[in-house]
Amino acid sequence: MADKEAVVYIVDVAQSMGDCHNGRTESDLDWSMRYVWDKISTTVAANRKTWTVGVVGLGTDKTSNPQDTEGHPGYESISILQDIAPMTMTSLRDLRSKIKPSHTEGGDAVSAVVVAMYMIQAYTKKLKYNRKIYLVTNGEFPIDDSDGSIDDVSAKLNELGIELIVIGVDFDDAEYGFKEEEKSSVKTNNELVLQQLVDKCKAGVFGTMAEAIEELSTPRIKSVRPFKAYDGLLTLGDPAKYESALSINVERYFKTKRAAAPSASTVTSQVDLGGPSQALDEDTEMGGMEFSGVRQMRSYRINDPDAPGGKRDVAFEDLDKGYQYGRTVVPFNESDFPVTKLETKKQFTILGFIPNSSYEPFFNMGEAGIVVAQRQNEGAELALSALIHALHELESYAVARYVQKDLAQPQLLLLKPNPSIEDSFECLYDVPLPFAEDVRTYQFPPLDKVITVTGHVLKEHRLLPSDDLQQAMDDYVDAMDISKLSADDEGNPVEYAPIDENYNPVIHRINQAIRARAVHPDEPLEPPAPILLRFSKPPEKLIVDAKSEIRSLIEAAEIKKVPAKAQGKRGKKDQVKPLSGLDVDALLGESRRRTTISKDNAIPEFKQALAAATDDATVESSTKQMGEIVRKLIQDSFADMQYAQAAENMRVMRQELVGLEMPALYNKFVTALKKSILSGELNGDRREMWFKYIVEGHLGLITCDECEPSGVTQEVAKEFLKGSSS
Amino acid sequence: MPWGGDEERRSEDEQEEELDEADYKTQKDAILFAIDVSESMLEPQEVIDSKKADKDSAVSASLKTAYQIMQQRIISQPKDMMGILLFGTEKSKFRDEASARGGTGYPHCYLLTDLDVPAAEDVKRLKTMVEEDHEDLDEILVPSEEPALMSNVLFCANQIFTTNAANFGSRRLFIITDNDDPHAGDKTAKSSAAVRAKDLYDLGVVIELFPISRGDKEFDMSKFYDDIIYRDPAADVGIKEEVKTSKSGDGLTLLNSLISNINSKQTPKRSYFSNLDFELAPGLTISIKGYIPLHRQTPARTCYVWTGGEKAQLVQSETTKVDSSTRTVEKSDVKKAYKFGGEYIYFKPEEAKSLKQLGPKGLRIIGFKPRSMLPPWASVKKSIFIFPSEEGYVGSTRVFSALWQKLLKDEKMGLAWFVARDNANPILVAVLPSRNPDASHFLPAGLWLYPLPFADDVRSVDLDRGPSCPDDLVDIMRKVVQNLQLPKAMYDPHKYPNPSLQFHYKILQAMALEEDIPENPEDATIPKYRQMDKRIGGYLSELKEAVSERAENLMQSRALKREAEDDDAERPAKRAKASGGAKKPSGAMNNAQLKEAVDQDTLKKLTVGELKDILASKGLSTVGKKADLVEKLEQWVEENT
Repeated sequence: MADKEAVVYIVDVAQSMGDCHNGRTESDLDWSMRYVWDKISTTVAANRKTWTVGVVGLGTDKTSNPQDTEGHPGYESISILQDIAPMTMTSLRDLRSKIKPSHTEGGDAVSAVVVAMYMIQAYTKKLKYNRKIYLVTNGEFPIDDSDGSIDDVSAKLNELGIELIVIGVDFDDAEYGFKEEEKSSVKTNNELVLQQLVDKCKAGVFGTMAEAIEELSTPRIKSVRPFKAYDGLLTLGDPAKYESALSINVERYFKTKRAAAPSASTVTSQVDLGGPSQALDEDTEMGGMEFSGVRQMRSYRINDPDAPGGKRDVAFEDLDKGYQYGRTVVPFNESDFPVTKLETKKQFTILGFIPNSSYEPFFNMGEAGIVVAQRQNEGAELALSALIHALHELESYAVARYVQKDLAQPQLLLLKPNPSIEDSFECLYDVPLPFAEDVRTYQFPPLDKVITVTGHVLKEHRLLPSDDLQQAMDDYVDAMDISKLSADDEGNPVEYAPIDENYNPVIHRINQAIRARAVHPDEPLEPPAPILLRFSKPPEKLIVDAKSEIRSLIEAAEIKKVPAKAQGKRGKKDQVKPLSGLDVDALLGESRRRTTISKDNAIPEFKQALAAATDDATVESSTKQMGEIVRKLIQDSFADMQYAQAAENMRVMRQELVGLEMPALYNKFVTALKKSILSGELNGDRREMWFKYIVEGHLGLITCDECEPSGVTQEVAKEFLKGSSS
Repeated sequence: MPWGGDEERRSEDEQEEELDEADYKTQKDAILFAIDVSESMLEPQEVIDSKKADKDSAVSASLKTAYQIMQQRIISQPKDMMGILLFGTEKSKFRDEASARGGTGYPHCYLLTDLDVPAAEDVKRLKTMVEEDHEDLDEILVPSEEPALMSNVLFCANQIFTTNAANFGSRRLFIITDNDDPHAGDKTAKSSAAVRAKDLYDLGVVIELFPISRGDKEFDMSKFYDDIIYRDPAADVGIKEEVKTSKSGDGLTLLNSLISNINSKQTPKRSYFSNLDFELAPGLTISIKGYIPLHRQTPARTCYVWTGGEKAQLVQSETTKVDSSTRTVEKSDVKKAYKFGGEYIYFKPEEAKSLKQLGPKGLRIIGFKPRSMLPPWASVKKSIFIFPSEEGYVGSTRVFSALWQKLLKDEKMGLAWFVARDNANPILVAVLPSRNPDASHFLPAGLWLYPLPFADDVRSVDLDRGPSCPDDLVDIMRKVVQNLQLPKAMYDPHKYPNPSLQFHYKILQAMALEEDIPENPEDATIPKYRQMDKRIGGYLSELKEAVSERAENLMQSRALKREAEDDDAERPAKRAKASGGAKKPSGAMNNAQLKEAVDQDTLKKLTVGELKDILASKGLSTVGKKADLVEKLEQWVEENT
């Protein structure tokens, strides 16, 4: 859990903030609010009750603050727009309506800081809080610093532990490299006063708005506190049985954990439920809709031949959990069988060591952890350090069995040493290893030679790179090196695209869009921030520099794109042959070539008939025969016994006719079939065939997208599957 | 609900993420074993070079293999089909019809187990057949005088697949035989077999041959089977895959040899994606296929069972969506919105869609780095194996091969932007080469897409630098490491079955077959303690002694330093707090301090929050009243210090 937070934003809304400056088309206020809204909406997004926000308007038409009420001078045109409270959408909307340029010249910024300061003091009392004040102003209204008030204010801020962040519109900032020409003397003075005030604060930031806004595009990463997954012994040997066994007190934390993108909830828009009072509510802004959550209701049914429809509902309470053992269902009630889980004890123990050369990173099965010695335990620190250094020196890794807690599933972890070199600290990193069951043995032919059917090994072949191609590839890879492409703060070359700059584009894209929509519900979505997509392409500069290598590689590669329709047309198909290369079709001989399609062997015969077809008439006749077989299968089917077979025949038919670019034949067939099924003329109620096999199996009309000559649009195809009759 | 459906708890988003991989997994597979029954297949194997005689005949080894595979698959892939067809038998049987002599359409074919999703009874039946001398089986296993026509066998298989597994994504016929030339000299029979094999190919059935050879006689594919076997349609052009011959010898029984060969083909080779564009350089694109050779296997999901009737029955569940007043919500009224500040933020469907569109699918190289730049902790999920395909671009294979060779030679890695499917989330991957497989390397040669963590995925763990370890300790530890190498100096996953998963399988099988539940499950992941004691016990003792001596010194010097610091500082700084950063002092209490607290009975002085922190840090439950928490912690301290 993160610490509690009390933040007050002071927003200058004076008349001058409504103007545009320095070539911007956005008013100073709108521009500044980009920064403030981003901050506030991030707080809303966090959805924490302990993160609280207050807002003070500076230069407001009215005056509303306790200091003024108490009769102190200098607090005019300062209004508390929102008391410190957790931020919600309602308060955000409320604020939005309040933040507008006023008709007042302005108010004293330092007085506003005082107002904010007392707000925080009153709200947080002596409790533990992160306290912050943000002041956003263009500094065009004079600040009265004649009485040395900034000394008192900064002293009080320091006493209360409040951080002051001043962000000024077009304030000069030498470090960022911004200087406003023809600045008014009032503003020059104000910048000086505010700068001094910040300097006197123990915690303070003074910056210019342009920089602040530029930084907004850099995604902010939600920090998560380290989670201790294990605290106990790392052993070598069994301490319970062998005196020699070594035990080291260690702690294990997560090092990586996949962050999830915000997930959308399933909702429904409430229609006329709450009566007219809701319609008048402000909530209508969201496109006139208000939403409420949707829950899932489950019903459970079993087959029961005696029940109408062959199925009946059963109560959830009457159910057991179980597993499928092939067709057999095995009830597996945990209360009946206490021993259904492997009994394991919390443990972290080393099995043995391997040279790191025998390990490849792609064996990793998941997220990494980090193992360190228990704090303040000298014995553990020394023993673990000895292990880390020994592994490092021998270029070895350890393999360990890890049981996070009693009864947890054992895992095998690979432990990699990280000795303290330079500024990193000593630890072991761990990654999960695959078990026997996790490996699927797929065979692939070798990539550096070709073995022919007769067993000859070829080193030169069209599937192997020529020396020229290999050379071109080598040069290209070397030219595209990005290990020194970027520069650090001191200008030293560093790697391009390191992990800490690799932001999850989906997470930040969605968060950015949600925040934008919350603040400006009526504006269209903005495109994703360029920073999120910068690693989607090689860096421009690199491509320019590697131009000649790229050209040579393309020339040597001689890649030819396979035309999209190449496999389509009749007759052009490559003949498929067995390993021996025997021409099976020739075996059948011209005379015995199959022209009639039998029900028993429909798919092969249909395919072979089409492959041999020399004219459209043959295709038509084969399709007709196949169609008859499908109808017959459905008609003769006892319940749904032959539906799958019928559907498979249809699938092949559909696929082949798409390939031959004769979609009309299929579309004609399926249209007629639909009619027959739904009118019940195929020996009874065959609707299951329609819904479960044809609709769900995507066996509807062939659309233009799939096969151009079809002439059927997506909508028509959708409608075709939907319409239960006609 | 005692175990309240784990299905329901999964967030919808998570389901979406995994959807495509799940599709990939659930593609159903049907395997039909076709086992040749001939005089030679029934002869017991003679093994000269092994101490124990191999008593199994080839047929019984085949049946045992089939039984083993069924046992595994029925649990790990409970929806897949299996069947066993014997051929060359005197008797013939197909479905319901049986006759002594060629009365069926398929003479000398005996369908022992019809192709179906197996049930517990099928496993039991097969078990009794292979484990006990089964009279019925002896009657069945009589070879016919004339051999079965292979065309008949293949057409019989065709019929079985056509009717029973019509819409299965993967259908495979496993032929086990020792006869490389069933129709020597009979050209017609050979031709009709070739025609029937083509039918099977067109039907989409893949034939896998498991030849058995004996002694020095090689199984010659060219005599017959080269006309029968087609290239795996999923495999690529030009290259033949090796057909492995099973035989007994070299201490390996025929059974083991057969099991290992069949197991390696057990999972049908399915691609995760195919014909994906791989943009190697601007203007240079090749096509690739992707596979997932490493995937965490977990027990199948539980289902709901109704036990009110005679037989336990699977329950089908249906969900309806309801609003807050439990009115049914029509599908068309369901919308997706994000929770934000206590309300919902809504995007129109086309907007929601555009949010996820961050680029078309494909793989694009953005540069290369030395492999050493991959941090040791940069791991988040399994890698994807890619292999070239000539489907989209002719010449892909040679370009891919050139890249592979370059990356291997110079120990480099590519960095690439990867979108696996339309609308999939883009990730940055490292492109890493794997070398040709050999004894110490079990994965195929090709390139791997190794997912890199995002900055968002990395936890910052700020810890102190420990003391530098004296060299003499490292010297002893080095001997420990050198003397405790894993076999073959590598991690071979095949040696380590997942103990929890295996136990789950065993329990489930025992319950399904109504057998006794095994008591002491095997667990290869438990270290061999006795051996360890023998091999490194001496060094460990030496090390422990040295460590405790050093630790004593270190503790004293630290205490001195602390005192000095305390004298210097006006207010004594809390050490633990200063070093712990985000952590409270109590969370960092070490075991010794905890033990002290227990001994002096001061645990109860901690706040509930502190107690919970400590418990959580030990991986213990934090539920309960304060007294319970204290008790739990005391118990832990007693057991662990």
